[in-house]
Formats: sequence, C-alpha cells, structure tokens
Amino acid sequence: MSAVVSPIREPLIEGGKSYRQITEDICSPTESAPNVAWIVAFIISVAALAFYVFCVVWTVWVGIGSWNLNRTIGWGWDITNFVWWIGIGHAGTLISAILLLFRQKWRTGVNRAAEAMTIFAVMCAGQFPLIHMGRLWLGFFIFPYPNTRGPLWVNFNSPLLWDVFAISTYFTVSLLFWYTGLVPDFATLRDRAKGIRKNIYNFLSFGWTGAAKHWQRFESLSLVLAGLATPLVLSVHTIVSFDFATSVIPGWHTTIFPPYFVAGAIFSGFAMVQTLMVITRKVLKLEQYITLGHIESMNKVILVTGTIVGVAYLTELFIAWYSGYIYEQYAFYNRVMGPYYWSYIGMMSCNVLSPQIFWWKKMRRSIFVTFVMSIFVNIGMWFERFVIIATTLARDYLPSSWSYYTPTWVEIGLFVGTLGLFFTLYLIFTRTAPVVAVAEVKAILKSAGDQYLEPNARHAAKVVKEEVETQA
Amino acid sequence: MNQFSFDSRLKNILIGFMVLGLVCLGITFFVDDELHTRFWTNYLHNSVFFTGIALMSLFIMAAFTTAWSGWHTLVKRIWEAYSLFLIPGLILMLVVIIGIWGHFHHLYHWADAEAVAADPILQGKSSFLNPGWYTFGTLIIVGLWILFAVRIRQLSVDEDANGTTDYDHHRKIRIWSAAFLPLAGFSSAAVIWQWIMSIDAHWYSTLYAWYTGASWFVAAMALTILTIIYLKSRGYLEKVNIEHLHDLGKYMFAFSIFWTYLWFSQYMLIWYANVGEETVYFLERRENYPVLFYGNLILNFVAPFFILMRNDTKRKYGTLVFTSIVVFFGHWWDFFQMIKPGARTTAMEALAHHAGEHGHEMIAHGEMGAHELPFALGYTIPGFLELGTMLGFLALFLFVAFDRLSKASLVPKNDPYLAESLQHHVEIHGEEGAH
Repeated sequence: MSAVVSPIREPLIEGGKSYRQITEDICSPTESAPNVAWIVAFIISVAALAFYVFCVVWTVWVGIGSWNLNRTIGWGWDITNFVWWIGIGHAGTLISAILLLFRQKWRTGVNRAAEAMTIFAVMCAGQFPLIHMGRLWLGFFIFPYPNTRGPLWVNFNSPLLWDVFAISTYFTVSLLFWYTGLVPDFATLRDRAKGIRKNIYNFLSFGWTGAAKHWQRFESLSLVLAGLATPLVLSVHTIVSFDFATSVIPGWHTTIFPPYFVAGAIFSGFAMVQTLMVITRKVLKLEQYITLGHIESMNKVILVTGTIVGVAYLTELFIAWYSGYIYEQYAFYNRVMGPYYWSYIGMMSCNVLSPQIFWWKKMRRSIFVTFVMSIFVNIGMWFERFVIIATTLARDYLPSSWSYYTPTWVEIGLFVGTLGLFFTLYLIFTRTAPVVAVAEVKAILKSAGDQYLEPNARHAAKVVKEEVETQA
Repeated sequence: MNQFSFDSRLKNILIGFMVLGLVCLGITFFVDDELHTRFWTNYLHNSVFFTGIALMSLFIMAAFTTAWSGWHTLVKRIWEAYSLFLIPGLILMLVVIIGIWGHFHHLYHWADAEAVAADPILQGKSSFLNPGWYTFGTLIIVGLWILFAVRIRQLSVDEDANGTTDYDHHRKIRIWSAAFLPLAGFSSAAVIWQWIMSIDAHWYSTLYAWYTGASWFVAAMALTILTIIYLKSRGYLEKVNIEHLHDLGKYMFAFSIFWTYLWFSQYMLIWYANVGEETVYFLERRENYPVLFYGNLILNFVAPFFILMRNDTKRKYGTLVFTSIVVFFGHWWDFFQMIKPGARTTAMEALAHHAGEHGHEMIAHGEMGAHELPFALGYTIPGFLELGTMLGFLALFLFVAFDRLSKASLVPKNDPYLAESLQHHVEIHGEEGAH
C-alpha cells in the first residue's frame, strides 16, 4: 500500500521507522533516569523560579514602589513581559489548529511540544497583570459577579477586562486540546509501565483502550476544539492589541494593531518553538522525527511573519507622516530618534532585517543559524513591546512630565523568574509525557516516512499516467 | 477535455455584455453633473476592483506555491489566466491617470491645486499625493506585478512542453512566487492608498490596505468558484472534484470572516477612540449611506457566515454558486462604499466653489446639498447604470481570462503536484488518508 505523494516532498520521518520503533523512540526518554544536562538545567530553572517567588513576595511586601514605574510611565517591564509571553503562547495552538486545517503534515512532529510551551507561556503571561495589581489577594475582583462590594462591578468597556475573558478562554481550550492529544499517548506509556507509574498513567489516560469508539470520539472532540481554537488564536492577541489601540495615545491608537500583533505573536511563538526544539531534538535524540525539514518549515513561517511585521512597522511610520497629525508624527519621530532609539534599533534589526537571511535555504537548514536567530527574534519581540509601551509613555502630551524609566532589580528578577517558571514546567514535561505526538506521527508514516518515498512517487506517476496521459 | 476552446458563442455573449457596459458608461456620462462624477467614480470603482482581483489571483497562486500546497494544481490555470488581467488593468488605470493630468475628472481632492493651496493638511501630504507619484507608483508597481504574472505564466506553460522529472520549472516558479509575496505585501499598500484611500484625502487608517486586500481576496475566490463550476458544466475540468470546491469554499468562508475581522478592527478602534479626524469617515457612511454601510456587512459577513458554516453547503453547487454570487457582488459593493461617498463630497465642494463664481443662490444650494446628502441613485446605492457597467467590466475580465485560458492546457501535466491534486481527497477530519 502506498499513498499518492508528490516526488518533490521531503520525508517527515527519517530512518525507515516501523510503528514499534516510533513508540520506542518517543516513549523511552520518559522511562529512564534523567541525564546530567537535564539535572543541571532543572536546578538552574528551579533556582530562577525560587528567585521569582522571592521577587513577588518583595513586591507585595514593599509595595509596587519597589518598581521604577513613575507617574508618566505607568507600564514598564511588567506589561512588556506580559505581552511578550502572551505572544510566545501563540505558536502551539496555531500549529495544532490552523496548520491542521491547512493539512500541513509537518505539524505532527512539533505540535505536542509547541502546545505544551504555549500553555506554559500563557501561565507566565498571566502572572504579570496579577502582580501588577499590587494587591495580589484582590485578584478575584476581575471576575464579574454580583457582590457585596458596593456592589462594585468590573468595567465592561475596558479591553483589560476583555483580556481576562480572552486569555482564560484561550488557556482553557489550549489545555483541553493538548490534553486530548495526550490521552492516547498516555495510554501507550501506561501499557509499557509498571507499578506506580502504571497507576498514574492509567488515571491520566482515562481508561483509553484504543477501541474504535474511543478514536471516533477523539476525532470528533479534536475537530470541535480545532474549530474553537482557530478564532481564539486570532482573538487573544487582537484583544491584547486593543489594550493599546483603543486609547487616544499617539503611537498606540492605530488600526493596524490587531492583525499586526497577531502576526508578531506567531513570529515570536515560532522563535521560541525553535529555541526549544533545537535543544530538545538533540538531547532526546529525536532528530529523525523533528527533521531539518521541520526546522526549515518553521524558519519559513518566521520569515513570513517577520516580513509581515516589517510591513506593519513601515505602514505605521508612513501613515504617521501621512496623517498630518503632529502628535502622531512626533510619537514616531520619538520612537526612532528619541531617548529609547536603541530599543527601536533592536526591534527593527532583530525582527525585520535579521530574519531576511532565511531567504537562503542553507541558512534555513542550519541548526546553528536557526538557534541564534530564534534568540534574536525573542529579543527583538521583547524590544517591540518595550518600544510600544515605554517609549510612547515617556513622551506624553505634557512636556513637563516627560521622563525616563529603567527597571529595578525586582522588575528584572520577575522577568528572569518567569523564565525559570517556564523552563521548570517544560523540563518536567519532557520527562513525563511523549514530546512528539506518537499517535499522530504514526498516522503520517505511510505518506511521509522516508522508506515510502519511492513507492509513493511511483504511485503518483501511475496516477498521472492513468488519468491524464492516456486521455490526451 | 483538457483544452479549453473559447468558442464564438461565448465570445459574442461576452462582447454583448461589454457593449452593455459601454452603453451604461455612456449614458452615465450624459446624465451626470458637470464634473461627470458618477461616470468617473464608476470607472475607477470597476477598474480598481477587477485589477485587484487579478493581483489577488497572482498572490493566491504565489502563496499556495510557496506553501507547497499541491491540491490546487488542477485549478491554477484559472488563476494564471486571471492574473494576466493585470495588463488591461494597467491600461484601465492609465485612463484615470490621464484624467488627473488633463483635469478631466474631480475624483481626487488633492489633484486640485487650488484646493491644496488653501488646505494645510493636503499640503502636508502633497509630496505623496500628487499626479507625479500617482503615475509613477501605478506604472512601476503594476508593471512589476505584470512582470511576475507573465514570468510565472511563461514558466508554467513551458513546463507542459518541456518539463522534466527534475522539476526545474517548478523550482523557478517557486522562486518567483516567493519573491512576489513580500513585493505584493509592500507595494499593494502604496497603490491602495493612492487609488482609493486618497479619495477621502484627509482621512487615514493604517489597516486600510489590508482591509482592501482582504476584500479583493474574497472576490477572487468567489469568482474562481463560479468559473470552475461554469467550466465543469461545459464539460471541462472534469478532474476537479467536489473536494477541490470544498477547499475553495472553505477559503471563501474563512476569508469572509477574516475580512469581517479587519472591518471590525478598523471600525471598532476608530469608534472607541473617537478621534474626530478618523470618525468622520464612518460617521459619513453610517449617517448618510446607511444602506451601503449595513448592506456591506450583510452581504459580506452575515450571508457567507451562516450559509457556509455547515460542512455540506461547501460541497453543493447550489449553495456554493449562490454564496459566490452574493459575496462577489458584496465586495464590489464594498468598493462602491469605499469610493463613492468621498468622491461625492469632493465633487460637491468643487461644484459649490464653482457655483460661487456665478451667484450666492447656487452656493446656498450647493452647501445644502453637501450637508444633507439626499438619496441619489448611483451614490447612496448602486443603480442600474452601475450594475450594467459592472457587467461590462466583468465581461471584459472574463474575455481576457478565457482567451488566456484557451492558450494552454487546463491540466498542467508536468506539475510535480499533479498526482496529489488528481487524487485530492479529504476526510471530514482533515487528515489525508493513505490510499
């Protein structure tokens, strides 16, 4: 049996794998003791996480005055980090939902880890609005329900509240989507495990037996969740962009923000996926499942979205001039030439210029270049949010209140600390769940396994011969 | 049948419609005001709309090729044929350009030197909004698009004759396609600002170019579906099956929602911030052109959203044809509402100014007109003359496209993805099964 596959397509599973080998290769990392590299990485991450907890306690104990925010610059590193993390949390659901709709088979190699990363990134993002409240224990005030506080209702006109709904919905659906995919794979782990591990995975896999009925429900649920997740991928960063764009602050109020934020989010999300995948595939020896072809595809996405973001940057600059509105013109002049000019340079060079090297196939397929570029993009996208937030606020309508802002150690500590939280969760994930979706990779073996390339190409040639050439 | 023959019966029908279009344009010219505003806005509207569909056909093809999509191979000859309408499209736009230089029309406020001299905002924009840039930008940018369209078409046709199994032609098409994407991204915005956004010369919106592009995209998809179903009814494209149409239907559905998303983003942000320089655009449309304003949303969002939401409506000719006609007309309507109100205000001011030289009575009349904007066929909604003109342009577009289509096989027989497209088969759940 062979599939009809174009002869120019690359294999997505290398090494002539059988179904058994796929199970073995992907499940075995969860079944052995961790290596030294993992332990060292875990210790560093947990240390950073501990520092995060310390900084949160410090912020709560001393008060928000331990940050360097001032009357003019009311949002600084906190909201920059929030938007940065939310952006990163876009790749996973894009890969699993939108690339599913586009039938991009290469998604099967990376979707599991990318979704996990998405969930962890959204968790990191969620920290900042909460800490930023200063009084963490009043965080439940954001939920709209009849209460005895006046009654004090949330402001339904505020995009900050829309954020609460958008992000919590996105988090829930992403988590369900991810977990649904994990159920059959947990069952595979269960069937291989003994003792307490077997009990745990038995519980986690909801008694999955692989019966036809189970698969049927699995498929229906996946389809429903993909349908729900697709608009959510767009809506979350759209609403984050509303936080800025609904205002009348020049530089924030611009109509291109929603789609441009979404493109930027996908851009940064894929960069983080690359950062993690380049390391994960090496450490867990998954190079035959996350191939150079996968990396190249993701680099193409980075090139496309980086260029879209570039079009948006230039559109903003141009329209600011075109508008004839002097405050708008000044806001952009200030971005490029003002006191934070270095962050604008950082943003432009990391996000727009440097990804252009991916026009060369050789660069797209170089592990080293990919890794360096993914870090560049992560930095560039952080700068983008900093440019939008701090640079704009630093020069408001009233020149007497213009100011400058640098973070305190607490703010830096909170950012580094969320990296600790993120990597701690990711490292635990790599030890406890299959990093590649076993069942989904098996589903594409016949059409994308390297041992089937030739029979598939032969089959394709036969189809063309039968259906076209004999007719003509 | 793999070879489309553009028979004389079809030619005559299309020529008949072109004559109808010309007659409508002619009548419009003579029943018009002294600036011939209705005539020129109709001309610009249709020229921009159909040129944009040609651009988007090229863009869709380039994007699909770059993304290794494969399934569209049996459809791509239609997009190639559409994309070649860029050449007549440029000629159509040249007429608008000649009109600017010769002061034959009053479409653009910024082209009126007297108005610019009295208007500091227009002066600020005059290094971009001027006849020189308009001409230069249109020629260079559309010229570049034509270069890509012609080159990709040449390679594709040559592949039929000389394609080999190392797929060198396809590799070159891929390079041209990938290069076209950023080029189209950057350059389309520039012409959209000049051709359409600058009609409301004071107003600006950063999202405008993408919004307009999305409108063209959906119209191109709808016209593609209609053409495929027509060709199939004539016995061509028998290998294009319901799976292909289903996928095109999904694109039409998804991008109708995407268009709505951009519509909402632009409208909501401007409404919310309530900055007078920006709200004027939507206020004008909502208050004085309510049928256009709300009709736009009904035709382009409500109809495709509710009709195409179900799986099976994207797999039946009846619902596909109906929705395609609705959204094709709907996006034509969208361009109508982008162009008419601004051009009309400009014309009214010019007429009032003109009248001012003759007497106060006419000023009063003109100003009253400008403020109240009463119902006027051809402005507040499209009239029969507009519909006739649109059919004329559509016939011209199809004439060019069918002529190109008949010059090459409908099946690109040496395309490396041909087998995948022939065997295109999608499970309900999206994964392609192994056969």
